[in-house]
Amino acid sequence: MKKQYAFHVDTERCIGCFTCAMACRNYYHQVEGVVWRQVHPLSEEIYPHRERAFLSLSCNHCEHPACLNVCPVEAYTKREDGVVVHHQEKCIGCGNCIRSCPYGAPKYNPVEKRAEKCSLCHERLDAGLKPACVQACPTDALQLIDLAEFTETNEVQYPAGYPRMEELNPSTRFVLPQTPKMVRR
Amino acid sequence: MQSMEIPLVLFTVFSQAAIGLTLMRAVRTTADGPVDGSGGARHEWRLIAGLMLLGMIGSLFHLGHPLSAPTALNHLGTAWLSREILFAGLFTGVTVLAALLAGRAGKPVLAWVGTLLGLGVIVSAGMTYAPPALPALHNALPFTFFLTSAVILGSGFGSWFAGGERASLMARIFTTALVVGLVLNLVAPCVWLSGGTVMRMTGEAWLGSSFYWAHVAVLAGCLGVVWKTRTIPSWLPVAALLGELVGRAGFFADTIHAAANMGGLY
Ligand code: SF4
Ligand code: SF4
Repeated sequence: MKKQYAFHVDTERCIGCFTCAMACRNYYHQVEGVVWRQVHPLSEEIYPHRERAFLSLSCNHCEHPACLNVCPVEAYTKREDGVVVHHQEKCIGCGNCIRSCPYGAPKYNPVEKRAEKCSLCHERLDAGLKPACVQACPTDALQLIDLAEFTETNEVQYPAGYPRMEELNPSTRFVLPQTPKMVRR
Repeated sequence: MQSMEIPLVLFTVFSQAAIGLTLMRAVRTTADGPVDGSGGARHEWRLIAGLMLLGMIGSLFHLGHPLSAPTALNHLGTAWLSREILFAGLFTGVTVLAALLAGRAGKPVLAWVGTLLGLGVIVSAGMTYAPPALPALHNALPFTFFLTSAVILGSGFGSWFAGGERASLMARIFTTALVVGLVLNLVAPCVWLSGGTVMRMTGEAWLGSSFYWAHVAVLAGCLGVVWKTRTIPSWLPVAALLGELVGRAGFFADTIHAAANMGGLY
């Protein structure tokens, strides 16, 4: 398998503190209303406990990215390491990628009048640093992995609460939350 | 409710009206019986080219950077939007040429070339608006909606130019297309109700939307008028056009995106 950087989300460790989302915001200063990483609480149908569980999500740097395939101006490229990069200077703001990505990763920047999304901090990767969100996570719930070298087996690709899109083959992997132990007296 | 995408509503509906008119012109020139006696070829081609130019100009308003619009042809390899723009550009060129060259009789070959390019626009638009992110539309429905709109508007407005001999042909095609449009629009949201969560949410949004019911009412109303009068009164295509515009606004505004349910059961 070719190198493919990916986010590894351990929902058992995640405490829903939004530090990853804030770190992204602090680093890139997106305009108001534009969010590249979002922390979604799992609905009670999926995780029916007073303890909450969360999915921290941004772009999944898919193997077959819908954004890249539908962009009429070739504003997206997929790097050798699997990172899907949006080149904002080429974008004409047609909104086609925003309509097409089932994970809602590309967002419309109303000031620039162009789309934008998480590009996995590829400049930081090139400098040997971790993505801002991964570095900031206080519980190590969010990690960067390379799917080509990743050998653990208890991860799932499509947890409940996340769209199953096999034609895109999203790279993010998840550890499912465990059921809390009920202690009765 | 998401954005109504008014520029896209104008572009898709006006271009489909123009494509439908071209298709009906081609159909009329090959139908049995005496040659089309209306002689209004130049007027018809002017209307077609005008609709297409209006749609193309309207579509620019949905771009953040309209001046860079020509770069949208860069990704013909995989992007259906690039292909749609290519077909739409070529089709517009043919319609303008036909409007300039047409005498009273028109040139059938241009109608056929235009029809082929127009079908290219409808196929590629059908693919563009069927992304994986919209489960209810990630199928052939956008294509069938668009084709039906084109035939309804093409035969409706085509009746203005059909002359006495072809008026009943246009009325028959108009009626059939209205029935197909009505059935498609009534069945699709009901089928979605039995689909996955986002499909069901889309079905509920459409069935609860005034855009949807206004569109269905116009389709049914047009059908009632043709059934009663056995002709297409000259005002009826305008009513059908308004119905298609409203229905298209609902198509964009009421279709739920997969990401709207993140964290919930799919
Ligand atoms: S998650 Fe969406 S934006 Fe990210 S690579 Fe996949 S299709 Fe593109
Ligand atoms: S909004 Fe920009 S990046 Fe997205 S499809 Fe359009 S041109 Fe490409």
